[in-house]
Amino acid sequence: MAETEKPMSETFAYYAQLTVDGLAQGAIYALMAIGFAVIMGSLDLVTFTYGEVVMLGALAGGYYGVAVLGLGIWLSLLLGFAAAWLAGMLIDAICYRRWPGGPPEVWLITTIGISTVLKSGAQVLFSTEQEFVPDVMDGMWEMGDLRVLHIQVLIVGVLLFLSGALWLFLGRTRLGLQLRAVSMDKTAAALLGVRVQRVMTIGNAIGCALGGVAGALLGVYYNSVFAIMGGVAGIKAFAAAVFGGLTSIPGAALGGLLLGVLENLGVDLFSSGWRDIIGFGVMIIILLIKPSGLLGRKGAERI
Amino acid sequence: MISRLARLAREERAALLALLGAALLAFPLGFRENNYLLRIAINIFLYAILATSLNLINGYSGQFNIGQAGFYCVGAYTAAILATRHGVGIWLALPLCGLAASAASLLLGIPTARLKGIFLAMSTLGFSEIIRLIVLNGGEFTRGPMGIPGIPPASLWGWELRTNFHMYYLALALAALTVLVSANVLDSRIGRAWIAIREDELAARAMGIPTVRYKIYNLAFSTFWAGVAGCYYAFLSNFISADSFHLDEGFVILGMVLVGGLGSLAGPLIGAAILVVIPEIFRFLAEYRLILYGVAILITMHLRPQGICGGGVMDIGDAGGVRDGEDPPDSGAEPAAGGEGA
Repeated sequence: MAETEKPMSETFAYYAQLTVDGLAQGAIYALMAIGFAVIMGSLDLVTFTYGEVVMLGALAGGYYGVAVLGLGIWLSLLLGFAAAWLAGMLIDAICYRRWPGGPPEVWLITTIGISTVLKSGAQVLFSTEQEFVPDVMDGMWEMGDLRVLHIQVLIVGVLLFLSGALWLFLGRTRLGLQLRAVSMDKTAAALLGVRVQRVMTIGNAIGCALGGVAGALLGVYYNSVFAIMGGVAGIKAFAAAVFGGLTSIPGAALGGLLLGVLENLGVDLFSSGWRDIIGFGVMIIILLIKPSGLLGRKGAERI
Repeated sequence: MISRLARLAREERAALLALLGAALLAFPLGFRENNYLLRIAINIFLYAILATSLNLINGYSGQFNIGQAGFYCVGAYTAAILATRHGVGIWLALPLCGLAASAASLLLGIPTARLKGIFLAMSTLGFSEIIRLIVLNGGEFTRGPMGIPGIPPASLWGWELRTNFHMYYLALALAALTVLVSANVLDSRIGRAWIAIREDELAARAMGIPTVRYKIYNLAFSTFWAGVAGCYYAFLSNFISADSFHLDEGFVILGMVLVGGLGSLAGPLIGAAILVVIPEIFRFLAEYRLILYGVAILITMHLRPQGICGGGVMDIGDAGGVRDGEDPPDSGAEPAAGGEGA
């Protein structure tokens, strides 16, 4: 499609359009990656089930919120947030609490276990097919050849709002301070009277909830949700977070946006079947050449 | 109870193995026409090969691979392409498929040899999915989503192995071969190097083990057997498509190793048997098959983290509970069953 001869300005507009679409998609990845970075980078909780949490958010917000209950976009996003929060508490109770500070392999295994349960459970209880999610807003702005959908602006707005809220929470509240203390040194935090276990539970729930909102946005943006979307979503979140350095929340946001743009340009170069290969490929390449990511501080010591 | 059984099993190992072998050889004679039972047994052997191959990595060299399905896929597609387009028979295809999977593993192993934990796990997962997506988008070569039908049946000296009865013995032989060769390699210099890497990579390197090279050997050796299993699967089912090699397949294999016990030779065999048979007993739970695997992994981790006959790899009694010191899981109550190697 891009190969046909076009005037220069049109080609430019074409790539500008791809970049805009990529940024919108990247904003969703960024939100997923931020949640993931809160769980994995800050709390040192190894999670494999994040993709399934995103999927639950998409089912709750995107499907039940928008398509079934007709709640409108804001309440639906809230529903996705709440559902993923609950899932986060459940995961904490089953996968983490029994082994405080335990070897990460155990958490890896338990979260693989629960991820299988959640995914197959969703397939059995929900549906094995793609389910349709109607449009919540269908307007667009046109600037010359460039189209910007309202929904794309909404996605970026939600990303900005939630990352701002997270920044305020981490910087201005007592619990946020405790969370940062736990992320730096759990033993020292415990000695200073921080209830480490509880803070980790809440931090994990917050990270999951952000993923749930991202899932609801995915459902709304692509007009579909399905039970096995979590596998790819989880790897995308991981890839974007690794891209940005895993421990760094701004890095995760940047990584998500870059991944979205790269994917869109890559799809243009190859074909849409290769979309996910690009994501995985980027992840493996980043792990190889710069495992500490773009903005990471201590990624290297994990390798 | 379990420890007494384990002691008995250790003392009477040769006799028990002979008895088991005889039973497995005789089993199909009584059920020659019972394709249902034969298929279950064949599945157990097939997964036993896959789980044993994964255990070589996760259990012995202590790395964390969850993408074994990708190499299984490579083996199956190599077999299908060789058999349908080049007329290669199963006997030549088996080693070739193993080698193809090993070659593919180098693409993963060489770049990721320095990664650990979830970084390695995610890379193996991504690689497995990349293989499946490449197969799915492979155009004429892999026939994309249509899969490859019409794989001719295996034959031996002009004698076609068409029935499940024949394929049972082939699967049994391959599973036995996998375990025997693995046991011998694990008992060799290379195998001990793997175990040393698992126990303490830094110490292993200090003792002069080139850890990166040995980890690459480890992955290549393990994936060889996954490729062999893929080849067998292609000849067994006559038709393969990328759908059979989802990430879930990798989790199923991982579940078998974890439930059976990491780092013991018997573990993956027992895990494969249990996780193949349970869904068959609870037929009404067929839909919930994968949920069952997930629950099995979780229950194992909560009740017996080293697996049914684990070799002490998941010995989290010491490492866990350090911080809060509450509820230490009982450790050291029983000697690790199974042991290392033969």
